Amino acid sequence: MADKETVIGLETRISGEVRGEEDLVVRGRIDGRVQITQTLTVEKGATVQADVDVRHLVVSGTVVGAIVASESVKLTSTARVVGDLASPRVMMEAGAAYRGRVDMGDIAAARAAVSSRAVQRSAGSEKPAIRPAPPRMASAAKAVVAGKVAAPAAPAPPAARSATVATAVAAGAPGPASPPAFPRVAGAMGAMSPAWAKKKIRRR
Amino acid sequence: MGNTVIGSSIVIDGEITGEESLTILGTVKGKISVAQNVAVEAGSTVEADIEAQTVTVSGRLTGNVVARERIELKPESKMVGDAKSPRIVIADGAGFKGNVDMDV
Repeated sequence: MADKETVIGLETRISGEVRGEEDLVVRGRIDGRVQITQTLTVEKGATVQADVDVRHLVVSGTVVGAIVASESVKLTSTARVVGDLASPRVMMEAGAAYRGRVDMGDIAAARAAVSSRAVQRSAGSEKPAIRPAPPRMASAAKAVVAGKVAAPAAPAPPAARSATVATAVAAGAPGPASPPAFPRVAGAMGAMSPAWAKKKIRRR
Repeated sequence: MGNTVIGSSIVIDGEITGEESLTILGTVKGKISVAQNVAVEAGSTVEADIEAQTVTVSGRLTGNVVARERIELKPESKMVGDAKSPRIVIADGAGFKGNVDMDV
């Protein structure tokens, strides 16, 4: 169909909606929404912060957003993905960092949920304040997959949660492990002493 | 160093920014701002304001164009909008409607 494949280059950023009936390779960045009837490839170093609706998805970079792939999803060893994922075939390589729910069942329902969310987002200006996971996330996941369960330094970072999800998926149990409560950082309240408290101290 | 290519079946609704060249074979609506060249190829439809080093139009372009170096309208191209650039080339057979500003 197309004489050239569609590539979003390394130094290019798109904010908005991308639709199409061909393969799309992202090396740069897309914010918004991607709807492709073929394969979306997110290369290493690329970032897609968008709701994604595609046939095949291959991630080696970073994806943040709800993912619906009508045929398959592959997270390679360098992938970092945050967001719910719906696809009949899901592959995760050792080293892939992922946080979210995996649904290998009802794709239609997931797609409806994503599209309604997109409508909400365009109506209001809901901006998800999700930042990509820290780099140690990947190494933590790797360690657990390899069987060496190194106890993470306290307090347990969110990486521990994603690691358990990753192993659960690798073991063939796609059920979402309910994440443990986020550990409260001790002394966080003390660090942010309100203005009135400071005033009292000064008076004394 | 790969540049950006928007394929013929792709529709982009929004803003494209970048430091490299952009080739459009599909449809783009919104705003384009790149450091290098923009090529609006034959068969493509662009409804966007464009800011770039050079802009070459072979397809249909609706929008205002500001190019730091040059704007080139190839034969068979159609452009509606204002063109601002120190050098503007309009080939025989090109269609153009709008203001031309060469900073003179």
